[in-house]
Amino acid sequence: MRKSITVLLSVAALSLPIVDATAATRATTKKIVVSKRFTGSVTSVDRWGNLQVTIVVRKTTTTTGTKKKVTRKITAVSVPTYPNHTDRSIYINQTALPILKSEALRVQSASINMVSGATDTSDAFAQSLQAAILKAKKS
Amino acid sequence: MTVAVHELPDIRRVEQIMGLPVVVDVRDDRGADSAVDDLFDWLRWVDATFSTFKEDSEISRINRGELRREDAHPDVREVLERCDRLREETNGYFDMRAPDGGIDPSGLVKGWAVDRAAAILDCAGLHNYAVSAGGDMRVRGRAVPELAWRVGIQHPLDQQQVAAVVESTDLAIATSGAYARGDHVWNPHSGRAPSGILSVTIVGPELGTADAYATAAFAMGPERAPHWTARLAGYEAMTILADETVFKTGGFPDE
Repeated sequence: MRKSITVLLSVAALSLPIVDATAATRATTKKIVVSKRFTGSVTSVDRWGNLQVTIVVRKTTTTTGTKKKVTRKITAVSVPTYPNHTDRSIYINQTALPILKSEALRVQSASINMVSGATDTSDAFAQSLQAAILKAKKS
Repeated sequence: MTVAVHELPDIRRVEQIMGLPVVVDVRDDRGADSAVDDLFDWLRWVDATFSTFKEDSEISRINRGELRREDAHPDVREVLERCDRLREETNGYFDMRAPDGGIDPSGLVKGWAVDRAAAILDCAGLHNYAVSAGGDMRVRGRAVPELAWRVGIQHPLDQQQVAAVVESTDLAIATSGAYARGDHVWNPHSGRAPSGILSVTIVGPELGTADAYATAAFAMGPERAPHWTARLAGYEAMTILADETVFKTGGFPDE
């Protein structure tokens, strides 16, 4: 008895549209969220073997009146197939393959002792080096 | 407590060798002058032996057919063999064969020479130093009075800024990019400079390998470089693309 009440309640909750507070007076907003798994094609990675990537995409469909907005977001990335046909690539896979972080380019302002970068003309390099040395001495 | 600058136990010397500014910064609390002299002597010998701009270098003589590879100095043979291995390892993206049919191993020579230079300082009992050749470097120990070396990775769009800071007491750091000297790295497969990629930084135990990997990854371009660097054993990478996306491998040691 208790069980059936619970089910009824959750069905009722699901069927209720999610109301966007700001738009509530004029139109109701309905949001549908679906997560789906997508598997990429098997691609050859140089001579190390094949690689295949699976991603989970969360698709959000928001309907306000007659307007419909769809957004998709990747929520997970995994590599079910990866090169393992040589000792070296097995080792590489165990250490590094699944981890590659992506972020936006930023500026760091912390104090430093040296700079790594593609070589500038030597004059500019020497000037910037002098400046860096001066800064280092002041710090 | 503030330590007066003149009391800091350090030596900083800059010399132009191999067409690059070489910076040596030793922070040990003991005499380092003779070791640093030896270091610069070594780099001058490397330049005289490997330069493609010097008529009488062994590389120039090999390219003119006057010297056989197997008769060259053992260090020359070692470098050329490593270049061959690196070409295989990078799927041909690191290639010492010049467009004119000769060889130009300078993509490895600089880093390899700095690795040996670091060994010269090690053998002299020095433990706190940085050796940089044109922005590619080995750091070891402390940047006394600090507890480690803090190395900024140059921001590819703003030369006055850094895009990341790596702190270490033992590391080789190499950055390859198109922003300073114009397009000096090209894709050996297409014969063109890669587009859509601003710089690749590789860090790890050896500068020769790190530098060659950075050159190769940069030549691979924006689609392949990040994924290729993620599979390097013992080396970590940061790739900056033209759309300002930054890819870092899992163990890249920035803060």
